[in-house]
Amino acid sequence: MRVDIRGFIKPLIESLIAIVIGILLGAIILAFSGYNPIKAYIALFDGALGSKYGWAMTLSATTPMILTALTFGLGARTGLFNIGAEGTVYFGAIAALILTNIWGNILMGLLGGIIAGIAWMGIPAFLKVFRGVNEVVSTIMLNWMAYFLALYIVLQKIPNPDDPNKTIAVPLSARFPIIIRGTELSWAFAISVIAAVLAYYVLWHTTLGYELRVSGYNERAARYAGINPKKAIIWSFLIGGITSGLAGAVEVMGRPPSYAISQGMANIYGYGFDGIGVSLVGRNHPLGIIFSGIFFGMLKAGATAMQIEAGVPLEMVRMVQGIIVVTVAIPGILDLLKRVVRK
Amino acid sequence: MEEAPLIKMEGIVKIYPDGTKALKGVDLSVRKGEIHGLLGENGAGKTTLMKILSGMLRPTEGKIFVNGKEVRFKSPADALANGIGMVHQHFTLVDVFDGLHNIILGMEGHGLFSKIDVEKAMEKLQKLMDDLNFQVPLDVPVETLPVGVQQRIEILKTLYRDVDVLILDEPTAVLTPIEVKELFDVLKKLKAQDKTIIFISHKLKEVMEITDRVTVLRKGEVIGTVNTNETSPKELAKMMVGREVVLRIEKPPKEAENPVLQVQDLWVKGDRDQDAVKGLTFEVKAGEIFGIAGVEGNGQTELIEAISGLRKIEKGKVILNGKDITGRPPKELYDLGVAHIPEDRIHMGLVSEMSVAENSILGLHWRETFRGPIGMLRWNKAKEHATKIVKNFEVLVPSIEAPVKSLSGGNQQKLIVARETSKQPEFIIASQPTRGVDVASTEYIRNYLINLRNENKAVLLVSADLDEILQLSDRMAIIYEGKFVGIVKPEEVTEEEIGLMMGGIKHES
Repeated sequence: MRVDIRGFIKPLIESLIAIVIGILLGAIILAFSGYNPIKAYIALFDGALGSKYGWAMTLSATTPMILTALTFGLGARTGLFNIGAEGTVYFGAIAALILTNIWGNILMGLLGGIIAGIAWMGIPAFLKVFRGVNEVVSTIMLNWMAYFLALYIVLQKIPNPDDPNKTIAVPLSARFPIIIRGTELSWAFAISVIAAVLAYYVLWHTTLGYELRVSGYNERAARYAGINPKKAIIWSFLIGGITSGLAGAVEVMGRPPSYAISQGMANIYGYGFDGIGVSLVGRNHPLGIIFSGIFFGMLKAGATAMQIEAGVPLEMVRMVQGIIVVTVAIPGILDLLKRVVRK
Repeated sequence: MEEAPLIKMEGIVKIYPDGTKALKGVDLSVRKGEIHGLLGENGAGKTTLMKILSGMLRPTEGKIFVNGKEVRFKSPADALANGIGMVHQHFTLVDVFDGLHNIILGMEGHGLFSKIDVEKAMEKLQKLMDDLNFQVPLDVPVETLPVGVQQRIEILKTLYRDVDVLILDEPTAVLTPIEVKELFDVLKKLKAQDKTIIFISHKLKEVMEITDRVTVLRKGEVIGTVNTNETSPKELAKMMVGREVVLRIEKPPKEAENPVLQVQDLWVKGDRDQDAVKGLTFEVKAGEIFGIAGVEGNGQTELIEAISGLRKIEKGKVILNGKDITGRPPKELYDLGVAHIPEDRIHMGLVSEMSVAENSILGLHWRETFRGPIGMLRWNKAKEHATKIVKNFEVLVPSIEAPVKSLSGGNQQKLIVARETSKQPEFIIASQPTRGVDVASTEYIRNYLINLRNENKAVLLVSADLDEILQLSDRMAIIYEGKFVGIVKPEEVTEEEIGLMMGGIKHES
């Protein structure tokens, strides 16, 4: 598998610049808010990377974000703006919970995530292909429907009789083994990395991936080439559904201590949206997504340390994330800078 | 005594960010009140030079003088302030606005609450139109107007900004012969009002007819400036191409055989739901090139898209080798031996962000050769294929991994022709196969189409380039407003007759 290195360098540098700008802007705002930015960042990075424990926490936070990022990235490569990962995660988690409680093994849990993902993501796919509904509109609305529907199921259908704060848990036999004892890092991380590599493989080494990318770049050329863009759209949604359904599944099957959905779905909420940022920073490239996923995981894992040691609230970390995403998402800013520099 | 020039450009060099050297030290001087032709082939640098003069591009090196004073334009607004305005080849009109609002667009005042003084604008425009002795409806959406009228609105838009120097980029490219004549009348009136006009063209006849002086550009350099009444089309052609303009095309006589494509009473709608193709019937035989000539926008695009499975057929039949293929999808047609060189290579024929290798299998990628187990794509086979067709067709590429957007237009087009031929088709649709392509590639592609014909393939050629049609076709049809005005043999008609037919006037013989 040969990879064209030159094609990677420019986006890599641009993403790195965006990260640096995000960190610097974050520092300025931290300073204005009365915190010591240097101390805060040291706490952040030390907490996330300074120890084996930190690394483990980083990678475990990364796990679901890689999968949801793949949903968005695959969509973007097919010319779609699919932001429906968020809602799909909930159903992936619920399906995994239910199936593992019936059959009690990992495979059935993963299968549950996959089926739920396909089913839920099939809705915007169907609406787009047969009714011409813009996927941005449909996926935003479906995210809200998913939220309340999932909340209903969580509260009413699968509550834990012994603990009102969460749902029934994944049985021991269907939990991913922990890689490093005493941390939250389980072999679920491997699922994420394998999914990303597979997504790369599908996109660049199969005829299906070729058709997806052609449709994404240029729909007219696709039609001309005998490719059915509708088919490409359906595939993109369905594969995206699989990855974000898996995100929900691995989150409940591989994340100690609860192995369940907590009240208000706090432990599975937000990964779909994080995934958009991860994908953008990773340039919608499955392999790039692995690395940007780890960076975002680092921010998440380090945030706790930053809060404890520098007294900076968690919201500040999310702000830094936001700045980075905005910086990357506006390539125009770079062009603008280039022009200003030349003047 | 030489008259002092109104505009003087000195040593203009333009290097594009991708390293293309579009202009290599060009000098140009234009006198007040003259119509100055700027002649050259596609890619000679005419448009680039004029974009610099109109402030849209900044030169890498060189100086510009207006009335002897050096100027530096940062934007088209600066050029307009110096009385220089340009009418672009591709109109810059807002389709759904009416003429008036298109014209005053950007001049309506920039305050939040400033009002548009429509009456004053109308008054000024009416005076402009009276002076030029033409009328255009200014109160209907421009998209409903014919191209010739839209062009006048563009011209009015520029004149409304009080320019003295009007630059026209290939203004006749989209006009019928009659519209061209009307445009020339307008230009002559402008000249009588002491306006200066720079007329960009690659059409010798027009340059001979309308200009006072001509500057010829070739590959980013000035070959010379001559007085029009002291030169001849032949001399200009030689300056333009750098050799005798005769393309080396050899077409041995050949008897056409059985029909390969039969089109019967075909009706197709255009993008605006209007009838674009109105009951066409024709056939293309094995071993012939059937040409369709006509001004662009008379249904050619819709016809080709319908035949190649990309557009819905409302009524009628398309038959390939006796098999009804009406409304079949492109993939099925390719499997039946159809190849299609589309008119729009950037938006249809190629995926410009993708590599040469990836583009070389576009529309062939499902074939057995390129498929591995479980839907895998065999890149080594694709690369072999790309290397082979690039070599066979002498396509100049930096590498087969390079994105096709890094290729020149001519090489992009050759790549498409190479790919389509590699499908080993029985029937080839070639739509504008040499548009925007350099002379050498043009010659190559034209000879190639003739080769296909000699090998007993059926070729359907659609081109806005009349010379191309005349040179290649065994039989040709002239299309006007979705109907054939006539089907003739190229050697049996004069160019004038065809010109008339392209304008919708029936051939009498």
